[in-house]
Amino acid sequence: MWPNIKPYIYVLPTAGVLLILFVGGLIEGLIQSLGYFPAAGQYGFSLDYYRQLLSSSDFWDSLILTFRIALLSSLSAGVLGMFVSVCLFMLKRPGSGRKNQIWQRFFQLPLIVPHLVWAYLMVLLFTQSGWLSRILASLGWIHHINDFPVLVNDSFGGDIIFTYAWKEAPFIALMIYPVLLRIHGSWFEASRVFGANRWSFFREILLPLLMPTWISSSFIVFAFTFSAFEVPFLLGVTYPRMLPVLSYNLYTSGGLEARPEALAVNVILAVIVSILGVAAYRLSQRWSMDEQGGW
Amino acid sequence: MRRIGHFMHAAVTIILLIAIAIPFIPLFFSSFSHGWRWPEVIPHAFSLRAWVYVFSGNSGTWEAVWTSLEIAFIVTLINLLLALPAANVLGRLRFRGKWLIEGLIYAPIIIPAFISVMGMYISFIRLGLTDSVTGVIVAHIIPTLPYMVRALIVSYSTLGFQWEEQGQMLGASGFQRFCYIVMPHLMPGIVAGASLSILVSLSQYLVTFLVGGGQVMTLPLILFPFISGGDPAIGSAYTLIFAGMAAFALFLMDFLLKRYYGKKVTVHL
Repeated sequence: MWPNIKPYIYVLPTAGVLLILFVGGLIEGLIQSLGYFPAAGQYGFSLDYYRQLLSSSDFWDSLILTFRIALLSSLSAGVLGMFVSVCLFMLKRPGSGRKNQIWQRFFQLPLIVPHLVWAYLMVLLFTQSGWLSRILASLGWIHHINDFPVLVNDSFGGDIIFTYAWKEAPFIALMIYPVLLRIHGSWFEASRVFGANRWSFFREILLPLLMPTWISSSFIVFAFTFSAFEVPFLLGVTYPRMLPVLSYNLYTSGGLEARPEALAVNVILAVIVSILGVAAYRLSQRWSMDEQGGW
Repeated sequence: MRRIGHFMHAAVTIILLIAIAIPFIPLFFSSFSHGWRWPEVIPHAFSLRAWVYVFSGNSGTWEAVWTSLEIAFIVTLINLLLALPAANVLGRLRFRGKWLIEGLIYAPIIIPAFISVMGMYISFIRLGLTDSVTGVIVAHIIPTLPYMVRALIVSYSTLGFQWEEQGQMLGASGFQRFCYIVMPHLMPGIVAGASLSILVSLSQYLVTFLVGGGQVMTLPLILFPFISGGDPAIGSAYTLIFAGMAAFALFLMDFLLKRYYGKKVTVHL
């Protein structure tokens, strides 16, 4: 009996804390979003806040914007990360291990730098009076500050996408690099014997092997960019806002009676992100089952 | 063909280095600038005004750095104590319902912590946790604990049971086995988990703002007004300090690991 119960006792501290703080918070948020909010003197359960939300164009504009930004961010980070990783792998010099490790540290820098810092770097580079515009002006390519396009705080969200692409590409690269390292150099030579060039080696051999990890890590980036707050808070425009910023504004700017609506946004966010998380997990599981099949 | 390969490798590496390093150049200039007007690529005059302000007594920088580090270290210590037993069984045993526990532990990586914190804000008020460092520490556990457990699970899963069994046969007590067998093996995982936990805690903005209510000023909170339309020079100086603190955490982790093993060990982030 004792050995059967041991694992549960051991996981109890971590699981208990997460159940109370994380799941407890989610459930409390869900209950309040359904209208049970004693702090504002509301005791009845209803779907009014969801109805209100789903019938407002603010919400739908936010949702569409959030989807578009998350999709474009994760796609560009994914493509960029894959490109960098495969380039470094295919062009790798044999026997330069130590030097490579120093570079790898350096490539981790975007992962370590906080999002707020990275977003501000984009502001300094790409505003109309930013560094890029200054460089173009001194090269004589533009003559007035307004000749430089509005890239930061524009309603398309290009600055947010660019920040995420730049910041998350190293994450994708780091996730797929271990898979690349398991591919033997002899495989490339073998494919050469059968007449493959670098491109067809990539398409026929590397791509299928990388696909599961690439998709699952791109899903993680999608889920993250879908629900992260700091970057759109700094770089976004007042309308339309990304969902986390919309929730924050409803939560802080209105009175107590506006809070259930913010929490309803949060519940919708949590549901979407969880679906994405489960999808990412499933994809990586399928991959590790294939892995036991051996290659 | 081979020489072209070398050339391409060098070219790709250099382009990447530039892409990572270039954004920091205007940040550096901006923090030292003295009236940096538009077409100037390099400021015409430099001044230490922003840095003098940042390090002056009344800017609250030192308090903010100290508060940030205090919160990050206490959160990490709590995480370590909570995560050690959980990682022990999750890394080495199979048991019924394990996937459920793993799902619970990994979920906060995907679902952002502010959703939980907004949900239980009223309870936080009732428990007296708002506007206090204690409350911020409690809230920071949500996004950081999963990373600690994850790092320790990796370490435990390569440990197995045989070494401890051998120690037991040779007469080592439970405490001795933990100190001399388990701890040395876990060290890389502990260092990796701790630095991730510190990094994630340092970069929290919204959760600290919601729970701290403007009373608990950490570095991201003190930085934000300056970078969102405030004084760009001071904002840049703060941003450099913030980035430096995060980079220092990674450097420290690297240094500790190298000291411990006397050789390079790669840490999987």
